[in-house]
Amino acid sequence: MTTTASRWRHALAIAAAAGVSVLTMTAAMAVDVTVWAWDTNFNGAAMKEAASRYAPTHPDVNIKIDDSMQQEDIRQKLQTQLLAGDTTGLPDIVLIQDDVAQKYLQSFPGAFVPLSDSIDMTAFAPYKVAAATHDGKSYSLPFDSGVTGLFYRADYLKEAGYEADALKDLTWDKFIQIGKDVKAKTGHNLIALDLNGSGLIRIMMQSAGVWYFNADGSLNIVDNKPLKAALETYAKIWQADIVKPASGWTEFTSAFTSGETTVALNGVWMTGTIKSQPDQSGKWGVAPIPKLEGVEGATGYSNEGGSSWYVLSSGPGKDAAVDFLKSIWATDVDFYQKILVGQGAFSTWLPASAGDAYKASDDFFGGQPVWANFSEWQAKIPSIDYGIYTAEVDAAVVAQLPTITQGGSVDDALKAINDQASQQMQ
Amino acid sequence: MANARLGRTEQITGWTFIAPALVLLGIFMLYPILWSLWMSFQVGKGMNFNFGGFANIVRLTKDPVFIRALVNTLTFLVVQVPIMIMLALLAAVALNDPKLRFRGFFRTAIFLPCVTSLIAYSTLFKSMFATDGIVNKMLMAVWIIQEPIHWLQDPFWAKILIIIAITWRWTGYNMVFYLAALQNVDRSIYEAARIDGASGWQQFWQITVPMLKPVILFTTIISTIGTLQLFDEVNNITQGGPSDSTLTLSLYIYNLTFKFMPSFGYSATVSWVIVLLVAVLSFLQFVIARDRSK
Amino acid sequence: MTDQALPLATSRAERRTRSFNLPGFVARTIKYLLLSLAAFVSIFPFFWMVVGATNRSVDIGIGKATFGDQLFINAANFFATVDAPRIFWNSAFIALVGTVLTLAISSLAGYGFEMFRSKFRERIFTLMLLLLSIPFAALMVPLFVMISSFKLVGTVAAVVLPGIASIFIIFYFRQATKAFPGELRDAARVDGLNEWQIFFYIYLPTMRSTYAAAIIIVFMANWNNYLWPLIVLNKPEQKTATLVISSLTSSYTPDFGMILFGTILATLPTLIIFFLLQRRFVEGMLGAVK
Repeated sequence: MTTTASRWRHALAIAAAAGVSVLTMTAAMAVDVTVWAWDTNFNGAAMKEAASRYAPTHPDVNIKIDDSMQQEDIRQKLQTQLLAGDTTGLPDIVLIQDDVAQKYLQSFPGAFVPLSDSIDMTAFAPYKVAAATHDGKSYSLPFDSGVTGLFYRADYLKEAGYEADALKDLTWDKFIQIGKDVKAKTGHNLIALDLNGSGLIRIMMQSAGVWYFNADGSLNIVDNKPLKAALETYAKIWQADIVKPASGWTEFTSAFTSGETTVALNGVWMTGTIKSQPDQSGKWGVAPIPKLEGVEGATGYSNEGGSSWYVLSSGPGKDAAVDFLKSIWATDVDFYQKILVGQGAFSTWLPASAGDAYKASDDFFGGQPVWANFSEWQAKIPSIDYGIYTAEVDAAVVAQLPTITQGGSVDDALKAINDQASQQMQ
Repeated sequence: MANARLGRTEQITGWTFIAPALVLLGIFMLYPILWSLWMSFQVGKGMNFNFGGFANIVRLTKDPVFIRALVNTLTFLVVQVPIMIMLALLAAVALNDPKLRFRGFFRTAIFLPCVTSLIAYSTLFKSMFATDGIVNKMLMAVWIIQEPIHWLQDPFWAKILIIIAITWRWTGYNMVFYLAALQNVDRSIYEAARIDGASGWQQFWQITVPMLKPVILFTTIISTIGTLQLFDEVNNITQGGPSDSTLTLSLYIYNLTFKFMPSFGYSATVSWVIVLLVAVLSFLQFVIARDRSK
Repeated sequence: MTDQALPLATSRAERRTRSFNLPGFVARTIKYLLLSLAAFVSIFPFFWMVVGATNRSVDIGIGKATFGDQLFINAANFFATVDAPRIFWNSAFIALVGTVLTLAISSLAGYGFEMFRSKFRERIFTLMLLLLSIPFAALMVPLFVMISSFKLVGTVAAVVLPGIASIFIIFYFRQATKAFPGELRDAARVDGLNEWQIFFYIYLPTMRSTYAAAIIIVFMANWNNYLWPLIVLNKPEQKTATLVISSLTSSYTPDFGMILFGTILATLPTLIIFFLLQRRFVEGMLGAVK
């Protein structure tokens, strides 16, 4: 689709140029800006919308979007080419997930353009800007939010005798109790979990404003109270027999799209997946996530995933790329309404929430003003520093999950995580 | 033939046959390989590295994840390769029987798994082997098991699942080599053996296996290398889990290179461990093959 | 079972009587049963893939194994999402060029290594086998450095060239050549053919089944090649079917019905090649020589 679209634009440009001599002149001035994104229906589509808004005022800039790659593919290409020092095949703008950003910024100094030099970063959600800041400069144009919500099947809860009010100021213990009741009354498991992922644990940990590392970058595992509480809670959820074990993304998402489980506890970007089943309209609701009890700084707000746009300093179109990001992605309120409605892309550019789309209520979620809720929750997400070793520690955490879900000691698990992670961080 | 002394012209002809391949290998293999060998003595992250001597080798010995990956990989190798080679050989012999009906159908069917796309097959294996999946339902229906097996959540069964998956995918592939090689065996040898009253099993062990020895050696070495580099299945079906129980050396190298903070030196060192393993194993296989032939 | 594997020297009469009656029939039945079971197990996932292409994504997720009515919708979605003629043409071109060149270069080398042995070449061969075992992930970055210094990034040559001197296929041809009868070669020499003529006129036609197997294997490897084309091809219009179809799974809400439809299409070429060449596996060498 990308190719057809860009060829079409190109054809238009040629038609407008009319005449060979004019054409060569346009070609000499025209700049190509290549963009890599990984989801045709989501970030790719949002980028296409942005490009089409930029095109009328900038006929000399030709924005080419390639979204025919998986996220992992993009990382491999980026890393191979940066390491090989041949950047001719790299794009001008690339989408990178926030939790791996620091790794790239610190492994490849100078490879990315510091956008804070030309774009006002105070207009973006602070936790997003923090994720891309290195040595006082911020390198990303924050894209979608990962603000978390507890998506729930209101009809299942009702059957088990729970109204939406029951989810106010929810704790994890209460959450588990609701799960048991729902399962007893309706037979539905509460939640799908994948033992190969640490997503839920990370959500819990960040909700208390803590990550795997101390401020100086050293490991914070053994005495990390939120992490310990998260692991204990995780084990309790499994042991309550309310979990549908899932392996991999497809099984994970189909657990709730098929109506098998009662909740999905994920970032706001899951909204699109949940709404992909129109026959479930009106049956869903969204609430803040449960709080870790007895943990200092615990909130019901957290983040999962989310990504941002980076400009490569080697690209021939980098100046045009920065201008494009600035004049659409950091200016256009209307644009953000359009991609919220069209793609469910929830903005981290704060002025966007003043638009109409962000105030609308959604019948799919029983008339709830979901976007306004998410905006409110997003402002309360505790900022954390992902550091450069998140993937290493994640692997160490995942290695301990089967043991703790079978009743193994959480303290021993923390120690094992600490040992493995410190070994891997050499 | 092996001991025959070649004349000068024959020597030159010999080189000309292999020259194009050697030139290409020299260009496209030698530099990358020397680079990775050199890298295995470097320490550091991303593009900042410096000479570390044997630091990476020391790190290997202290790395519990590496030890886990090594043990898993060797387990897959020892259990899976012999089973698959045997199955492929039996299938090839059965399908080589000219009196067998529906030969074309059986051949194509058994070959099918290796062309089935990885996406389809990994999605399907995950759903078939889910706790409430069809495999557990069938096993419970015939009373082989009473409780469902947690194929994807239990470290032991996850390994078994991977072994089932690779055997399923690659048996037909190996069979192709045997079928092709069987065409080079003179049928009259079998007829003579039959007249002599040799049973099917005797023919198999005393004619087929010795005649196919070069190709069996080939597939064994190739499967050994393939299993030591096992990546697709563990990445797509179990993601190396649960609890690293299906993490292989290749998946670990991949993680070190692309998922973790890029440390090329260390991942190159792990790669050379595979080379070392292959060296030892191939040497053993050659020695065993040579002893048998004497 | 092992106790049956007695030496050939056992009484002939005893075995004769056995081979004519009931046990033979039972053995044949067991053979058919086992083969049918193997065929079923092998076909099932393929069958499921076909079923999946007729279902909605959400049904596939929960493991529905009956035909649905979504085939045309999935097909339409697939053709609307990807530029099918282009990606299949790209794949076919790379696979065909790769297969022809690999077979030419590697079969020559395999023949050369086996037919003209010298101590030095044996050493090279052993070294090559060892190099075969280095995982590709470890070689990718330096290989990319080379390709980029040749200014080949983004070309078909970059995809194909590193693979055509395939150690794997050289090794295969060398092992298969061991079965090539020395008498044939000697006779040809007496007839005055030179070594190249022997290769082209005697060896090539004789080893048809070996070549058939190699074509299948090499074509499949080229067609399914993923990591390397991903790294060296940059323009969307150059992408192969394998790359594009697997990228469809990356979305937050992948449409599996459409993806499975695409994977069926992507599987067909290798399957057709196998179909066309499998006859070679029954003809045998003697027929080829006559």
